[in-house]
Amino acid sequence: MRRWRRIFRRDPADDVDEELRHHVDERVRDYIARGMDPESAHRAAHERLGDLVRVRAECTTLLAREHRARDRHVVLNLSWLDVKLGLRMLHKYPGLSLVSVIGMALAIAIGAGSFAFIHGMLDPTLPLEDGDRIVSIQNDRVDRAGVTDRHALHDFVLWRDGLKSVRDLGAYRGDSRTLVKQNGTAHLVAVAEITASAFRVARVAPVEGRTLIDADERAGAPDVVVIAYEEWQRRFGGDPDIVGQSVRLGGTPRTVVGVMPEGFRFPVNHRYWIPLRMNPLDYPVGGGPWINVFGRLAEGYTMRNAQAELTAFGDRMAAAYPDTHGHLRPRVLPYALPFTDADSPEAQWLLRLLQLGISLLLVVVAVNVAVLIYARTTTRADEIAVRTALGASRRRIVAQLFVEALVLSTVAAVLGLAIAGVVLGQIEILMRRMSATLPFWMDLELSAGVVLYAAGLAILGGTIAGVLPALKATGRHVQAGLQQLSSRATQMQLGRSWTVMIVAQVAVAVAVLPAAIFYSSEMVRWGTRDPGYAADEFIRAWLSMEREESPPPAEAEAYERAFEARFAARSEELLRRLQSEPGVDATFAAAYPGNESTIRIEVEGAEPAGIRTAHVNHVGTNLFDMFDVPILAGRGFVDPAADASSVIVDRTFAESIAGGTNVVGRRIRHAPTNDDAPAPWFEIVGVVPDFPASAGPQIIAEDGRDSCITSCLRGTIHHVLQPGPAARIIVRTRRAPAAAFVGTLRDITASVDPALQLHEMYTVAESRRLTQRSLRLTALGIVLVTGSVLLLSIAGIYAMLAFTVARRRREIGIRSALGAEPRRILRAIFARAGAQLGTGIAIGLFIAIAAEWGSGGWVMGRHGHIILPIVASLIMTVGLLAALGPARRGLAIQPTEALREE
Amino acid sequence: MVAKDAGLLQGTVELLVLKRLSWGPMHGYGIAAWIETATDDVLRVEEGSLYPALYRMTRKGWIKGEWGVSENNRRAKFYRLTRAGRRQLAEQASGWERLSGAVNRAVTAIDLPEEAG
Repeated sequence: MRRWRRIFRRDPADDVDEELRHHVDERVRDYIARGMDPESAHRAAHERLGDLVRVRAECTTLLAREHRARDRHVVLNLSWLDVKLGLRMLHKYPGLSLVSVIGMALAIAIGAGSFAFIHGMLDPTLPLEDGDRIVSIQNDRVDRAGVTDRHALHDFVLWRDGLKSVRDLGAYRGDSRTLVKQNGTAHLVAVAEITASAFRVARVAPVEGRTLIDADERAGAPDVVVIAYEEWQRRFGGDPDIVGQSVRLGGTPRTVVGVMPEGFRFPVNHRYWIPLRMNPLDYPVGGGPWINVFGRLAEGYTMRNAQAELTAFGDRMAAAYPDTHGHLRPRVLPYALPFTDADSPEAQWLLRLLQLGISLLLVVVAVNVAVLIYARTTTRADEIAVRTALGASRRRIVAQLFVEALVLSTVAAVLGLAIAGVVLGQIEILMRRMSATLPFWMDLELSAGVVLYAAGLAILGGTIAGVLPALKATGRHVQAGLQQLSSRATQMQLGRSWTVMIVAQVAVAVAVLPAAIFYSSEMVRWGTRDPGYAADEFIRAWLSMEREESPPPAEAEAYERAFEARFAARSEELLRRLQSEPGVDATFAAAYPGNESTIRIEVEGAEPAGIRTAHVNHVGTNLFDMFDVPILAGRGFVDPAADASSVIVDRTFAESIAGGTNVVGRRIRHAPTNDDAPAPWFEIVGVVPDFPASAGPQIIAEDGRDSCITSCLRGTIHHVLQPGPAARIIVRTRRAPAAAFVGTLRDITASVDPALQLHEMYTVAESRRLTQRSLRLTALGIVLVTGSVLLLSIAGIYAMLAFTVARRRREIGIRSALGAEPRRILRAIFARAGAQLGTGIAIGLFIAIAAEWGSGGWVMGRHGHIILPIVASLIMTVGLLAALGPARRGLAIQPTEALREE
Repeated sequence: MVAKDAGLLQGTVELLVLKRLSWGPMHGYGIAAWIETATDDVLRVEEGSLYPALYRMTRKGWIKGEWGVSENNRRAKFYRLTRAGRRQLAEQASGWERLSGAVNRAVTAIDLPEEAG
């Protein structure tokens, strides 16, 4: 810190001291000259000066004030001229500008984009009146860090009736219900079962009718619902008589009593609000359903007050109910944190660290740009020396170069924000299509905060890229530079650290680029791959059934059995109803084909050991028919009961155990774990082809969860699905595009039982499009980031060579004057560039091969042996091409000119 | 003589500094030494008070200090007059002349003016 201050300016006290010392010394010298002895001369000089301590203090204060005033002046004086100069530089060195702007823009885009997410998670501002006074309350578990116990019904009642510091305490639980309108059409909607106090917390009035009121929560009160403005418009056509209408939500008919205004999504992203009716007496302490508790800080209370009061409540509960509450500590926290999993300090720190790490990318890029600018500055050494001679202080020149870099980074920030805006927009579209909605307080727009953050990054980038080279260029040589203007460049050095940086970047580019190429191409390829069946005839969805109410604990088991039986019966009925539709076929499965989970399988009598990993699925007997999958050997499933211990395997699995499809009759079982009893054996009764056609390795399975590279090649075993509550439903419409059947499917499901719900329903074609889109986006990101690393390293090589040629201009001139071939001189220079490129490439190759070998061959995929040499020679070629310009400049040096410049 | 009145002294010191610097840049010691000789050591400024005055004048923009090398080959802070300083000198000098002339006339008057009687 001190050194930094010294670079710009000395400590005022040092200045004053030196001036006063000079005065005393001169005075002493004078007195001695007049014949005094040194000792009395000193004494007399000090006496003459007066109260040294007071003078020094007074002067130091005055000088410091003067410096501060000048600082303000300089800041204001970072004038237009500098900005104009910066813009001119941008234009004058298009190559450098392009490379620097692209590199910094990407880094800023990534930094700002991640900030939009992370800031939204950590410091959300609720778009509600006094939103920062709305809080969440939860019971943290002391025995397990970061875990919250939300069985808080009893606590909620206690808090609601007792807390002084938090008012209008409310609770909700989220659910989805099938909305059935009077005409029979059905939609699955997100519903909040919520206390009426929530509307007092939010302080938002309805646009039609009323909000929920406390009376709605009483047992036996009429069943009501409040709906969102958007739902009113979309589902009910903005019907002016909406209030008073009856709709079915799941099994219950409800009267619409109010419409909330546009954009209202409290508590998270809900559009339907029904009263939360729960009697704590129905549940034991520490039992009951999961709820979220929230409220408003009362007037005059702070978060800290509330926590103190809450802690007292917690201690009383812990004393009264040590079994259920001994390990719980109630905590009050900003409202939004529990909903984004950022409620524990650990999670918050991790997110902040992540943000810091992501932003560091900009520092790396900016240091690169700094080196490029430094190399450029060498060509402006004369300008700097002359300006210094004309009285510009070092600070002034550093300031000028800083503003120039700031112009560069500002352009980069604007571009980066544009990129971030486009990408965030894409992500939002994708999320909306996948019907995943963000909490109402998060928006992926370029908010003021994001822009501010990007501006901060731009200043950071500009500081690194401008001030570092400026300090180095205006260092101790400036005075000397005045004496030999033209050969000023010979004084500037590019240190060893730069060589290391270039070598490191080339190495990173070589090591990462092949994997990046592989992954992005694989993603794009996988996304556009032919699935091998008529994807546009398929619909997939999750089927679930609404639980009408939470039964008292005594009846829970019986209720659960009854519920499962009802769900199983309704599922069967739904299947029958669908199959009776003309041209429609439907089945249930544990997972959508191609999306199975993996399991360890033991093959009877196989050597060695016979344990391998395979994908496993439970499918309806008609699934193979539906996908037009032929039986290659043996038979298909006939009947769930008869085939209870049969499996059908695919070709890859068959080949992995027998080298062919001749496996019918062999037995397999799920590999026993240590403490379990051995699993039963299953007999292979049939072999099917691999389907859906998974041509080679895939990276991301359709729902984005399962990632497999090599394990995908291990094959799949299919069990028959036993009757029971179903999960995955697959529908094929052979006569018409599936998209036209989606609405009918919902309506049929609701007519079987309004409690049945279809979640995440897509036509397979649509889900493939969404997947392709996100894969393309990811691939683009990978290519851009890797590309910018490559770009920067190539630019670094170019700058280094240009710099070297400029620096050795005189030497080249003299040597060619003495008869040396310029080519020979240049060869020496390029040997160095070649050596750096070569070293970088060698290290990169080593890393890539080591990673490939260490990972068992999935870093670069099957084509690594082709991609890697191509990338290496590409980088070598581009690096040498970058050297071409400086080389031509070097060859064009005329000895007479180079010497005349001296 | 040591001037006791701070206000009067300060104004006087400023004027003297401006005057000295109107002939060219000089460091603090040089200015003090000149004041000593030029006033025949009558206006014997406590030298320490010269520096706060210099800094105040810098702040007012009348003079500007820059580090340089002295005639004895030592680093010293040289002050030079700015344009504003030059204007200030002209104003102060004429003001001083009027004031000192008036005081002088008053003090050296022999007869009591008639009107005052």
